[in-house]
This record gives sequence, C-alpha cells and structure tokens, in this order.
Amino acid sequence: MSESAPKPSSSVKLVLLGEAAVGKSSLVLRFVNNDFQENKEPTIGAAFLTQKCNLPSRTIKFEIWDTAGQERFASLAPMYYRNAQAALVVYDLTKPTSLVKAKHWVAELQRQASPGIVIALVGNKLDLTSDSKTADSDEEGADGEDDSGDARKVSTEEAKAYAEEESLLFFETSAKTGHNVSEVFTAIANAIPETSLKSARGAGASNTAAGRASEEQRVNLGNARESGSKDNCAC
Amino acid sequence: MFSNFTNIVQKAQQFIDPTQGLNLSNSDRNPSKASLFQNQFRIPSTQNPLHEINAELTIPPSNQTSGDKDHDRGWHYAGKLHLSEGYMCFSTTPSSFAQSASVSTSSAFTGQTHGGGPSGNGFTWPLCAIRRVERLNSQNFQFALAFTTWNGLLYEDTKDTKAKQDGREQRIIIHLAGTRQSCERFCDGLKKGLRAGVGSVGKLRKVVAEDYSEYLLRTEDRKGISPPDAGLGMIFRYPGDPKKLRDRAKMRLWAEYLRDNGRNVTLIRQPTFHKLIRVGLPNRLRGEIWELTSGSIFLRLENPTQYEETLAKFEGQDSLAIDEIEKDLNRSLPEYPGFQSEEGINRLRRVLVAYSWTNTDVGYCQAMNIVVAALLIYMSEAQAFFLLSALCDRLVPGYYSTTMYGTLLDQKVFEGLVEKTMPILWDHLVKSDVQLSVVSLPWFLSLYINSMPLVFAFRVLDVFFVEGPKVLFQVGLAILRINGEELLDATDDGTFISVLKSYFSRLEESAHPKSENPKLRAVTRFQELMVVAFKEFAGITHNSITELRLKHKDAVLNNIENFAKRTAIRNLGPDSKLLSTEELGALYDRFYNILYERQQRDMMLQQDKIRKAKQSRARASEIFSGGQDEVEKGRVGLGPSTSHMDYDAFREFLASTSKWAISDSPGSSRRDTMSESDRPTRYQSARRPTESISPWGSGPEPAEHEFLQRLFKKWDVDGNGQLTLQNVVTGLARIKGRRDIMGTITYFFELYDDDNDGKVDREGILRLSEALLFLSRRGLEGSLSPSASTLALNGDAGVVRESQGSLPPGASANERFLGSVSAFIRRCFEYADPDHPNNQASEKFQTENDAEDNSNAFAIGDDEDEDEEDGGEEDLLGFGSPSGSPSKAQKPPTLATEDTQDSQRSVSKAKSEAANAALDPAHPLHMTLPTFRMVVLADELLEQFFESSFPTSFHIVDGVPSTASPSAGGLTTFSSLGFGSRPPVPISPAAGGAGRGLRGVMDGIITDGMRVATEVRRRMDEAQKELEKNALPGQKPDEDEEDDEDIGIAVGVRRGPGGASGDSDSRSVKSSDLDLLSGADAEAGAVKEQEANLADKDPHGGKPLPHRPATTNEPGVVEFEG
Ligand SMILES: Nc1nc2c(ncn2[C@@H]2O[C@H](COP(=O)(O)OP(=O)(O)OP(=O)(O)O)[C@@H](O)[C@H]2O)c(=O)[nH]1
Ligand SMILES: [Mg+2]
Repeated sequence: MSESAPKPSSSVKLVLLGEAAVGKSSLVLRFVNNDFQENKEPTIGAAFLTQKCNLPSRTIKFEIWDTAGQERFASLAPMYYRNAQAALVVYDLTKPTSLVKAKHWVAELQRQASPGIVIALVGNKLDLTSDSKTADSDEEGADGEDDSGDARKVSTEEAKAYAEEESLLFFETSAKTGHNVSEVFTAIANAIPETSLKSARGAGASNTAAGRASEEQRVNLGNARESGSKDNCAC
Repeated sequence: MFSNFTNIVQKAQQFIDPTQGLNLSNSDRNPSKASLFQNQFRIPSTQNPLHEINAELTIPPSNQTSGDKDHDRGWHYAGKLHLSEGYMCFSTTPSSFAQSASVSTSSAFTGQTHGGGPSGNGFTWPLCAIRRVERLNSQNFQFALAFTTWNGLLYEDTKDTKAKQDGREQRIIIHLAGTRQSCERFCDGLKKGLRAGVGSVGKLRKVVAEDYSEYLLRTEDRKGISPPDAGLGMIFRYPGDPKKLRDRAKMRLWAEYLRDNGRNVTLIRQPTFHKLIRVGLPNRLRGEIWELTSGSIFLRLENPTQYEETLAKFEGQDSLAIDEIEKDLNRSLPEYPGFQSEEGINRLRRVLVAYSWTNTDVGYCQAMNIVVAALLIYMSEAQAFFLLSALCDRLVPGYYSTTMYGTLLDQKVFEGLVEKTMPILWDHLVKSDVQLSVVSLPWFLSLYINSMPLVFAFRVLDVFFVEGPKVLFQVGLAILRINGEELLDATDDGTFISVLKSYFSRLEESAHPKSENPKLRAVTRFQELMVVAFKEFAGITHNSITELRLKHKDAVLNNIENFAKRTAIRNLGPDSKLLSTEELGALYDRFYNILYERQQRDMMLQQDKIRKAKQSRARASEIFSGGQDEVEKGRVGLGPSTSHMDYDAFREFLASTSKWAISDSPGSSRRDTMSESDRPTRYQSARRPTESISPWGSGPEPAEHEFLQRLFKKWDVDGNGQLTLQNVVTGLARIKGRRDIMGTITYFFELYDDDNDGKVDREGILRLSEALLFLSRRGLEGSLSPSASTLALNGDAGVVRESQGSLPPGASANERFLGSVSAFIRRCFEYADPDHPNNQASEKFQTENDAEDNSNAFAIGDDEDEDEEDGGEEDLLGFGSPSGSPSKAQKPPTLATEDTQDSQRSVSKAKSEAANAALDPAHPLHMTLPTFRMVVLADELLEQFFESSFPTSFHIVDGVPSTASPSAGGLTTFSSLGFGSRPPVPISPAAGGAGRGLRGVMDGIITDGMRVATEVRRRMDEAQKELEKNALPGQKPDEDEEDDEDIGIAVGVRRGPGGASGDSDSRSVKSSDLDLLSGADAEAGAVKEQEANLADKDPHGGKPLPHRPATTNEPGVVEFEG
C-alpha cells in the first residue's frame, strides 16, 4: 500500500451477481484478503466487505455487496444493487448455464439499476482450463477441444463478443490463483465516471433518485475497457 | 409499476371470501380451529379437535425432586383436555377449539408463553401410546380416569406385574370437570380413538426405538443393545467442550426427568422440562427433544418409513434441486469434521434429496444445507428429514420456498419490530442508510446457525423448537439492544456488520467482567442475550408477529410478483420480441391469474366436498372446519405451486381473450373430446361443479372445439400436455406477432397437417372448414372490407334477390363469411390432389401449373372495373400461381368469385365432376399448402380473416370486448340463418338460389362415398334436432329452396357436446342479424386506418393492400356460390 500525498478518496458501491457457486465470494475474498478457501460456504442473502483501491489519481473505497447466487435469492437482489455504481456479473467458464444466468443479470441491471452503473462480466475459474497456464492475456481462449483436462465450456470469444455488444468490461479470472482478480476491480475503478464520484458515502443515493429506467444515461464503456488495465490497484 | 395482476388477485380473494374486502386470506385472519389446535400441540395436519373438556391432571408421587408437591397426592395441573382422531392432549394453556369459542380463546396459546411454549404444561400423547384406561370410582368427581401408557414397556414381555414392581409403569389420573353428558361424550370419543389407535402400536415401537431416551433408560436386561443413532456427533464428537457444557450433569437431570415423566411420545411437560431446555440440552438427547418439541416425531409416527421409501422411490433420478444440492454439499458447516467426511456428506445429501422430492415446491434452498447439517450432528437422517418438514411447513413457512416470501416477510416484520422497540436505533439505521437485512436475513434463514458459534446457535434452537418462530425475533432484537450503543456509532454497513461480528465472537466471555459480584461475573454474554431476549422481549409473541405479518404481507408479495414478472418477461426469449411489452405484461398476468383462480376453485371445491363428507358422517356440533390454511396457494409470490397450464386452463385462458373461445351454451358440459389417456391428470382433481361454485369461476365458460385441441397441441411443443408461459408466448407470437398473412395461412395449414407431410387430407379439410366457422360464429374482427359483399356476391344477381327473402338487407361480412367458407370447401375439394399421382392425373387441378389454363374455368374474378381497381391482388395471388405469366396481370386467376350465373354454373358443374371423381373414397386426396394458400387468397373475406381477423381476435391486453355476448346470441352459423332448417329433401340438381350453393358443395361430398356421408349425416342430425328444439313458429326459412339436403348443414359449426345450442337462436333471425350488422359497421369504420398501417408493414405484399370502395349499403347476402 504505497501512499504519497493525500489523494481524493471516494467510495464506490459494488455488487456481485451470478449463479450459485461460480465463485463470487471467492473473488471477493481474493480481492479483500488475498485468500482462497476450497469449501466456501454459500452466501446466505448477502455479505458485505470493503476494500480500498489506489489509483494514481485517487483512492477508491469499494463497498462490496456479495450476493447469494441461487435462483430463488434473485428477488432479494434489488435490495443490494440499489444505488450500486458498479457490478461484477460473474459466471463460471466451465458451466455454460452460468453465462446464461449472467446475461439475465446484465439485462436486469441495465433496466433496473442506477443508470450509470459500470458492469463487468467476469468468467471465473480460469485455473480449470488448459490455457490458464500459458495465458496471461485473455485473447487466446481457443475453444472446442475438450481434451487434456480442459474444463472450459464457454469460449472467450463468445463471452467477449457478448460483453462488447452490451458495452461491458470483460475479464477471465481465477479466484484460486488470483489471476486477473485485482485487474477487474482496477478496471472498474477506472471506469467509474468522475461525475458520479462524490466523496465518501451516499454518493449513490442521489444518483438513483434521479430516475431508474432512463437507459439513455448509461455510460458507454467502450473506452473504459481500453484504459481499464493500465492503472493497477495498489492493494 | 403495474397493478393489474394484483388487482386480479385481490378480486379473486374477495371472490373467495366475500365478507372480507381485505387483501388477507381467510386463513390468515381467521385460521381454522383445526389449524390452531394443530399448531398449539404441533401435531400433524390430519388431526382435528373433536372433543374438549376441562380437566385436572394428577401425576402420582414418585421420586421426583421438583414440581409443586401437594403432600402425598402428587402434582396437579388444571387445564383442558383435547381429543382428536389420534391424539389426546392436555395443556394448562386454556385455549378452546370448540365451535363456540371465540378466535381469541382459540388462539390463547399465541400470547405470552412464559417459557412453556404454546402447549404449556401437560402432554401430547398419540392414542396408540395409551395402553389402558380405567374409570375410577371417586367420591369427589364423577369422572376420574386412570391412564396407563406404553412408556418403557414396548420392549418388555409386557408382564404388568414386573413393570409395576419396579415402578416403571407410567400412570396418571385425569379428573374430568363437566356435565355428565359432556364427560360421557368425551369418553365415548376416547374409546373410539383408542380402539383405532391399537393398530399403530407397531409403528410406535419402530419410532421410539430410534430415540436415544429408550437406550438411556433401558432396563438391566437390555443393556447389551447398541445405542440408536443420535447424530454425527456420536462419531465425530459434538461441538463444544462437554465439560464446559456440563453435559454429564445435564444428562443425569434429564434421565431423572424422563424416568419420572415419561419419555418421547409419553412425556409429560412440567415446568422442569422447560427449565432443562433453557439451560441447554445435552448432546445425545438434543435431537430427540428437538423432534419432540417441534412435533416432527409425530410426523415420523404417521409414516415411519417415508424417508427410506422416498429415497428408494427416486433413486437414480435427477432434478434441478439435486444439482443445486450437489453444489453445496461441500460447503455445509465445513469446519465440522463430520462434514469433511464422506459419511457426513452422504447423510446430508440423502436428507436434502429426499426432502426435495417430498416437497417439490421448496425443492432445495441454500441455507437448508446449513440447517440440515446442523440437525444431523444431533439426530438420525430420518429424524432430520421429518424435522426439516416441520420447519418448512410450520415453523418457518415460506422461508425456503422458491420466492422466499416467508424470509422477506419476516425481514419486514423484524424491521417493524426494531422500529417499534428501538426507535432511536431505527432512525439511525435509516439515516445512515444501513441495510439491516444484510445482517438479519441470514440470522433468520439459517436460524442463527452460521451467525453464532455453533454451541450457542444450538441453544437458540433448543428454545426455538419449543417456542416457535418468535424466538428468532426475540433473539434478533436482543442482539441489537445489547449492541445498541456501538451500533449508534456505526454510520455505514461495514462498521455495522463488524460490530455484530465481533459481538458474536465473544459470546462466551463474561457479560460483566468488571463486576465485583462473582455471580454476575460468571454470567456470559450469551446468557445475557437469552435473558434480554426472553425477558425484555417477552412481549414479542406469536400473536404480535402474526399481526405484523398480515400487515406487511401484501407489500412483500407484490414486490416479489413485480420482480418475478419482470424477470419472467425478460427471459422469454426471441419470440417474445414479436409482442409488445404491454402485451407480454398482460399475457403474464392472464396466464398466472388463470392458474391462480383455478387453484382457488379447486381448493374451494375440495373443501366443500370435505365439509359435506364430514357433515354426513359426524354430528354437526363436532365439526370444525378444516383445511382452510392454504387458501392462498397458487399466488405467484407464494411460490409458483404450478406454472403449467393444462388443456382446461388453456381453454379458460383463450375464453378470456377471444370471443370465439367462449362456450355457446354455458353450463351445458365440460366434456372434452380428447381421449382420457391424453390427459391423465385432468379429472383426477376433485373439481366437480357444485351449486355454489362454477367450475369456471366468474369468467365465461370456455368453448370446446377440436380447433382448441389442435392449437393446444401446437403450442405444447414439449408434448407433455402442459403449457408454460413460454409456450403460450411463443404460440401467440407466431399468430399475433408477425402480422403476415402468409405466415398465418401456413400456421393454419400446419395445424391440420397432422403428420407434417405438407398435406391435409379430406378429413382435415372438413375439420379446417369447421374451424373457420367456429372462429367466425361470433363475428369477425379486424379489417373487414365492406366491399367484399359485392365482390363475393354480386355475380349472381338471382341469388341475391332470392335470398333477400330470408336475410336482412345488407347482410354483414360475418354472414357472407359463411359463404366464403362454403366456397372454400368446395374449392378445396376441387383442387385437391389425389394421393396417387396416377389417379385422376389428367383431371386433377394442378395448383401451380394449370392455374393459367384453368383460369377461365374457375376463377374469372370480377367484372372489369373491379379488376382495374384491384390490381394489387396479383401480388397475393403470386403465391398461388408463381408461374403466372406477365400477360396474366390484367386478369389474374382470381379464385375469389364467379361473377355470372353462367360461368358459375359451368364451373360448378365441371368442377363438381372433377371433385366428385377426386372425392371417390377409392382415391384418397389431399391438399397442399400452395393449394390452400390459393384457395384462401381467392376469397377476399378469407384473405382478410387470415390477414387480420384471426390475429386480432386474441385480445391479450383488454380481454374479450365486453360487447361480445357470452351467450349464444348473435351467432353466425348456417343454422342461425335458417339454412338446413328443413326436413331432408331429395337432392334436385336443378334447384337454384341459396340452396344451390349448398348443394354445390354437397354435390362433391355426397359422392365422396359412405364414410363422409355418414359423418355428415350425423352432424346434420344433431343440428337438425337442435333446430327443431329451438325453432320458433315465426321463423321462416327460405321459401323455395327446399331442396336443401340434410347434408347441407354439414359445414355448419359442428355440434360438439359443448357447442352451439342455439338457445338464443330462437330469437328471430332478423334481430340477431341486426346485432351483427351494427357490429360489422362499427368494425368496418374503425378498421380503415388500421388497415393502412398494416399495409405499410406488410412484409410480403410490398405494396399497400388493396382498398376497395366502400359500399356499405350494398345489400349483402349469405351466399354459397349459387
Ligand atoms: N478451481 C476454482 N474453484 C473456485 C474458484 N473460485 C471459486 N471456486 C470454488 O467454487 C466454489 C464456490 O465458490 P463461492 O465463492 O462460494 O461461490 P459463490 O458464487 O459465492 O456461491 P454462492 O454464494 O452460493 O452464490 C467453492 O468451492 C470455491 O472453492 C476458482 O477460481 N477456481
Ligand atoms: Mg457466495
């Protein structure tokens, strides 16, 4: 945690959504405690954690709402994504159904969450795929060969194409190895529009009062993606 | 956002209970006496309070060390003795379930319980546990009964003397206090129950054998037996330090208590019992006491082998729930060694899977894994299985359901209680926007098991199973109260959560570490928590929680329903994009509303039946209405108990959107023509009409027609006899969404192409025509061009004139449509292809290639000026005759009409012959899609029918227009117009007029051989009977054209069992026709703009649809190609 002069600090409410057992809590645990547990208990309702992320220009304090993944908990989700400025929609890249669910969440967020919400699509459990050893970039997730212990069932191209279509940030991660985890959060921190950053808490509150459904206000994240991985979280 | 569905639900609820305009179900506001009784004593829902009487319970003295000793006469408790079919219960809590008892008396046990739980001191004995009852001759009381139980004797050789000698026999005395009559009545009931209970002693033996108390209190001669399964703790140790927990001392106390007061099912609750529970149960008895206080042992007694049987029955089967369970097996109390082992994981899997099969509404919900894992530490699999049932059904209903409405509701209730009891803290939470439920929801959902260290969570559970759900609230409030000051300093969720986390981690520590008083210093934070929870919040009762639940229920359900609707609609897939959001929303509401209403009706009818059955077998004074608990079943927010629409529901659904789907003769019949085997479940439900409740509820009774069956089958893409919302949306999107005539025509064709070979056979053609009549009998909707009459009819002036005698001037498009259908049939047969190409090859009409050559013969459409105006037609016809040459443009081979009598006649003749030959049964024929298209497009009315009338006849958003009469009035059928109302007359080929039209059709059919003729005759006969029944003297059918052969009616709406009765046909033809006319005019006027719009969008035509000159006043006639 390097620290120079006092930088502007602001808090960002971030919510994690995705099918059960895709590794939402594990991603948070990796991000917050740099730890991994093989048998993480399912999240009941939601969990709340915080973590700071130091960007060159400012400090972002993430208030992370980790939700339960089972379908029937979905109706609780609005309670947690209320006022959220960012969302991590997670799927398990060894389970195609989890991407379907992720798409549902993206659609839900786009319609119901705060207008400017920054959404990142995250394919987790990259360590279970064969390309995980070699790959450092997300580009080479060739798919189709289901041999040699490659458990990948969702190709990088497919998910990426979808993410582009919907203007989402996109990453493939492993909570187990830590691969790409902090990058996700850094990219989100960078993508949060300056305007929606007010210092400290309550930033989101005014945001939502402004009106939920007006989708036009959604920020195009196309550029954010590029700038995403430049600054890294110093956490 | 929307309120449609909710409104409907509210209406439905009022309909259920008209006395309550509130949004509360009868069962919430006014739970039945039976369910209150079952709740107080935690006995199964099969039990009804049959008798009750004031009584005094006397427990003879033994070597007890506690209780209020009344010198040497033992212990006395005054209270009420209740008798149900299988149980005798005594309680010092004075609830009464007599019919005359007020609600507050019946729910007396829901108030403060002072630690004794709802059932207080007393006992809850299955009658099979009673071994003997003697009547004592007492001077003080008229009725004194001595009860001896099976306590401790089920494994003996039942040598009374021996048992008596070593004082193990459990014997109590109950003095009944009541009139002689009431005492006798009670005794009679008891005798009956005891006799019935004898058969269950075997079950009882099996059930108690699995209870640890039997082992604990075993006699010397049974020392060798191995102990029953008291959970994984026996293998992997129980959580916590047994020394610190003082487990041995507790065990000794319990052994003594059980020895004196009976064990498991024969236990008597005295104050010591509840005290012993509050200090924490000993490890090996914990499971048994849990199942006793929760009442799950009685579920096990009802069906001791259910657990094993369920597992065996579904072995090897897969389900969504199982997938979900598998995900969580390794994630359940992973810190407990038992769940790091195969043994523990397997037990957990079996219990969760078995339960998911027995309660498919719940299936599996995350958090159940944690709860069941905790239970399994202390009890056997079967015990955990039944305890899970008790939890889901009674203790925390709705917590784990698919919508989790119980969880959400109790969060609201909890927030309400925080606001009420700790207003300052509440204000603070609101101000700092802290989400209380983040911390409190897991408390409730996993019963504190994951929130506190296990040893403490189990002590909360000890009390919870006695006292019920209020404990969850009391403990939650106490946690907040104790941490109040620190929480007031927390201004964000993070701090709030960490305050509580650190509190839970220090529950073991002293609550008053700095106190001078060693006793006070010894009090742990957990003990403090219990004291605050049960003393300070003693006022939180079952009653107050119920009140709050009622208060918040609707808001919570509406929320869930909004969310569910939103999600469901969004996930409907690409087909849904063809419908508007408004339509999808309305469709969703309609779909679930129908399912909901149907379930309500089912339930009411069932209850009705039960009530009636009961009344006939029991005395009225003994009856308490039962089974009303689930009146709200079926509401989406409560978890979709069904999301599938069967065929009957589908009919009801259509009847709410389309007037043609409404029965013409309400109440006549619900018979379906589908065979029983097609729908195995439909009639097994006890849905029988009664005087009070219509099987179709308040809505119109749906019609039954073969068309509906075909539509259902088409929409039922999975072929399982049920439609999902997705099926319905897709089905409707295909019809309504595209607005493309070719699509609709193809759709229709496919409905009748049974084997998907691109051919519709003779029977199919007949049925298809019938469907057209069925769909149009209440009038057509959509863009009907009024000029159609001229086009269709002006050719045969003679006919027009002749027919005017029986038809009002300006017959509506609807009536003319009959003519179109008639012509349609004829043409179908004319242009059908023989099944074998070498049959009639030369004569058959080659749909595509011969169009040009034959154009003269069959289809010189219109007169010249008409032709010029209607240049657009060729576009449409292009489909029928793609090979048409440019030279044809001026005179397209319009099949629509035949304009002069001469040409008509010649065509009729020629084609009849051709058709007759084709109809020869020796030469089966079929119609292909191109033929069908051509035939449809040849007739403007038919074209319009497919273009707009049929698609617009589904009123998804507004429902059936209220102007549409649900009765048979205003039906447009052949019979209602007077055709076929004559006795059969031999066919005379020379006959003209309207009759000729019919005959033209029939010429072909008659020669079609016996099969068709028989069929046709049968239909005719039915129709004839109908007509004779309904004919009024004043109704005069056609004058001269009596040659209507009886077959003439064949193309009328099939008189299916639920079909048109023609009741109101008996009105004079004219007035009913006028109804139609005014409707048609209005439609014609309204339709124009719409038509223009459609033309723009029409993907096939490219050009705007032809606009005919409006000739509304043209005398119209129903015409059959005369
Ligand atoms: N191999 C591998 N396993 C992972 C990874 N992330 C999570 N897991 C495992 O997946 C399982 C589920 O992880 P969780 O983090 O609890 O998943 P979740 O999405 O929070 O699940 P819910 O709380 O039920 O919604 C755990 O057993 C993790 O150990 C990963 O990157 N690689
Ligand atoms: Mg989780």
